[in-house]
Amino acid sequence: MKKFKGKIVFLLIIILTMFLVAGCNSEKDSSGDTSNYPNQSIKIIVPSSAGGGTDSTTRSLAAQAEKKLGQSIGILNKPGASGSVGMTEGANAKPDGYTLTMVFVELTMYKHLGLSPLTPDEFKPVAMINFDPAALTVRSDAPYNTLEEFIDYAREHPGEISVGNAGTGSIWHIAAVNLAQSANIKLNHVPYDGAAPAVTALVGGHIDAVTVSPAEVKAQLDAGNLKTLAVMAEQRSALIPEVPTFKESGIKAESIGTWRGIVVPKATPDKKVAILEEAFLAAAKEKEFQDFMKNNGLGIQLKNSQEFKKFITKNEEFFGEMIAELGLGQ
Amino acid sequence: MNLLIQGLMNILDLQVILVLLIGIISGIAIGSLPGLTATMGVALVLPITFGMNPITGILLLIGVYFGSVYGGSLTAILINTPGTPASAATAMDGYEMSKKGLAHKALTISTLSSTIGGILSVIVLILVAPQLANFALKFSAPESFALAVFGISIISSIAGKSMTKGLMAGVLGLLVATIGIDPMGGFPRFTFGSINLASGVNLIPVMIGLFAASEAFKSMEDIFAKQNLAIKVEKVRLKWSEFKTLIVTIIRSAGIGTFIGMIPGAGGDITSFIAYNEAKRFSKNKEEFGKGAMKGVAAPEAANNSVTGGAMIPLLTLGIPGDAVTAVLLGALMVQGLQPGPLLFTNNGPIVYTLFIGMLLANLFILIIGLLGIKYFIKILSVPKAILSPLILVLCVVGSYALNNNYFDVMVMFLAGVIGYFMVKLEFPVSPVILGLILGPIMESNFRRSLLMSQGNLAVFYTRPITLVLLIFALVTLLGPIISKLIKISKGKEIINENN
Repeated sequence: MKKFKGKIVFLLIIILTMFLVAGCNSEKDSSGDTSNYPNQSIKIIVPSSAGGGTDSTTRSLAAQAEKKLGQSIGILNKPGASGSVGMTEGANAKPDGYTLTMVFVELTMYKHLGLSPLTPDEFKPVAMINFDPAALTVRSDAPYNTLEEFIDYAREHPGEISVGNAGTGSIWHIAAVNLAQSANIKLNHVPYDGAAPAVTALVGGHIDAVTVSPAEVKAQLDAGNLKTLAVMAEQRSALIPEVPTFKESGIKAESIGTWRGIVVPKATPDKKVAILEEAFLAAAKEKEFQDFMKNNGLGIQLKNSQEFKKFITKNEEFFGEMIAELGLGQ
Repeated sequence: MNLLIQGLMNILDLQVILVLLIGIISGIAIGSLPGLTATMGVALVLPITFGMNPITGILLLIGVYFGSVYGGSLTAILINTPGTPASAATAMDGYEMSKKGLAHKALTISTLSSTIGGILSVIVLILVAPQLANFALKFSAPESFALAVFGISIISSIAGKSMTKGLMAGVLGLLVATIGIDPMGGFPRFTFGSINLASGVNLIPVMIGLFAASEAFKSMEDIFAKQNLAIKVEKVRLKWSEFKTLIVTIIRSAGIGTFIGMIPGAGGDITSFIAYNEAKRFSKNKEEFGKGAMKGVAAPEAANNSVTGGAMIPLLTLGIPGDAVTAVLLGALMVQGLQPGPLLFTNNGPIVYTLFIGMLLANLFILIIGLLGIKYFIKILSVPKAILSPLILVLCVVGSYALNNNYFDVMVMFLAGVIGYFMVKLEFPVSPVILGLILGPIMESNFRRSLLMSQGNLAVFYTRPITLVLLIFALVTLLGPIISKLIKISKGKEIINENN
C-alpha cells in the first residue's frame, strides 16, 4: 500500500510539473501581444564562425543590449556559404521577435552572385551598427605615395599591378573593380581566402596592393610595412584620419565597404521591431561597446530601421550592376 | 634575459597559474571531443577573457589552445576517434598500439612527445622568432602549392598494404574537395543547388564519420559475434631505453612542426602527416609503421604540438595570423590593447616575455596532467563495446552538429561513416581521404593563384628555389617505394641469373 501511495504522489508531481511547463509555454506563445515583450530570452544568429569579427562584435553588442532589454541574449553561430546558411535560417525563423540575425554586406550580393535565392526583402531591418570602408593599401616601399601616382603608374603598366582581395565576388573584390572602373585602369585581381592572407601576401611582397578595410591593415601600417593611399568612403576613417578619401584625391568612386546590422524576419510586428531598434541603438552607444570597437579598429556607424532599409536597397542595386558587369554569378 | 626573469616573476601568481591550469584542462576536454576543435575552444572562451587583465586572459586562451591540441590525440589513440584533424595521423599507429593492449605505452609516448615538441617550439619562438618570420613571409602561392603537393605525395607512405588502394582513397578525398563554390572563379561545382554544399563538404564531419562512426559500426558486428568484447589493457609501461630510441624522431618532428606551423596558411593539420612520413623514411623498420610503431605515435604528436609555438611566430612578430586559431588569438590580443607586430616587443616587452614563460609552463602542465591522467584515460577501454559503441555514435552526432549547428553535417558524418565502414572491410586506408580533403583546396587555389600572379607563366614552379626543392621532395616521396621495389626486383633477377 505504501508503495502504491508513493507511486500516486510521484504521478501527481509529474502531472503538476507538466501543467507548470505547459503554463509557461502558453504564456510565451502570446506573440501577438507586445505589452510585455520581451519576456523570454532572445537568440541572435551569427552567420559566421565563433571568434571572427562578426561574432565578437555581436557578443560585445549583445552584452550591452541584454541590460536594455532585461532578457538574456544567446548567440548561435551558423557559418557556411559566405553567411547565407545562417541568414537563410534567420529569415525562416518564427517572426515573434525572439530570433534576430546579424547580417552583413554579403546579404545584398547573394542573389546577384547566384549563391543563394536569399534577398534582403526577407528581413525587416532593426539597426545598422558598423561600417568599415575599403581602403587602397600598398607596400611602404612602393614607387607611389598618393592615389594619383598609383593611377598614373597603373596607366603606364596596364594589368601589371596585382591587387589582392578576400575572394572572388567578395566585397573587397568589388572594391578593387570599382577602383579600376572609376579610374579607368587595368588591374590584375588575385583572390585570397579572406582578407588576412591577402594582407600577408602584400607584406611578403607577392602582390602590389590590397583593397581591404583599415582595421585589417592597421597593425602593418603602424609597423611601417604598408601605407594606405586613400579611403573609398564619403568621410575619412577615424582609425587613419590622416589618409584622404577617394574624392579628396580627385577620383569619383562610389563608397564601398563592409557593414553589419541586426535584422528580424519580415513578418515581425513593427512594435517589437521598434523596441529592439531602441535597445540596440542604445546598446551601441554604451562605453564598453565603443571601447571594444575602438580596440579592434572597427568603425561604428548607427542607422535606425528606416535609414538601414534605404541603405540596404541602395547597396543591393549598386552591387547588382557591378556583379553583372563583372560577369560573375551566371 | 632580464625580461625572461621578469616574465617568470609575473607568472608566479596563484591566480595566473590557476587560470592557466583551468585553460589546459578544459582544452584537453574540448580537444578530445570530436567536432570541438582547438579553434572552437579558443573562440568559446574568448568572451570570458574580455574582463581579465591581458596576461591572465591571453594565458587562459593559450592554455585552451595547447590543451586541445594535446587532447585530440587521447581519443585518437584510445578509440580511433581523432578529436581534431591534427591528430588524424596519430590514430594510424596509436590505435593499433591500443588494440595490442599497449594503450598505456602509447599515451605515455604521446604525452612525452607532445610536451617536448611544444617546449622546443616555444624555445625556437623565444630565440629566433623575428629571423624566422621573415623567412616565412617568402612563402607565396607557388611555395604553398608545392608544400601541398608534397603533402599529397605522403599517401605513398600511409597507403598501407596496397599502394593502388591508397591512391584511390586519396583521389576520393581530392574529388570530394572539389565540391562547393570554386575558390578562384566563384562558380558552384557539384552543389546541385544545395546551399549546404555551397561552401563544400566540411572536413570534420567526414573525419569523424570515416574514423569514429565506421569503427563504431564495425564493433557492433563484434558485439553480435560475441567476441572481442573489450580491448585488453596490459600493464606495459614505456621503458627508458625505448624512449631513447624516440628522441631523434621527436626532435626532427618538432622541427618540421615549428617550420610548417609558422608558414601562414599552410595548414597545421598536415604537419603530423609530414612528420609521420619523415619518421618512416628514416626508420630501419618501415614495415612496423601502420601496425603500432612507437615512432608512428611520437612523430605526429611532437609535430602537431610544435605547430603551436610555430604559429605564434608570425602572429607575435608580424601581426599575421597563420591559421584560424591564431586569428582568434589576434583578436584577443587587440581587445586587450596589445597590437601584435614588430612594435609589440618594444612596447609591451614584459607582457610578451610573460606569455613566453606561460607557454613553457603550459607545456609542463600538459606533461604533469597527461602522465597523472593516463591511468584514468585508459579506463575508457574497460567499458564494454556494447556500451562504448553507442556512446561513440552519440558523440559523433553531437560533435558534427556542434561544429556549425547544422543538421546537414550530421548527415555527411553518417554517410562518411557508412563509406568508411566499407573501406575498412575492403581494406582501403581512410587517412588518404582526409589528406586529399585537407590538401585539395590548398593545392588548387594556390596553383591557380600562382598562375594569376605570374600571368600564366608556368616557370614559377621551377624557378623559385623553395618551390623546386619541395616539388623534388614530393617526387622522391611518391616514387621512392616504387623505385626501391624495382631495385629489389632487378637485384633478385641478378641473383637468379647468377644461380643459373
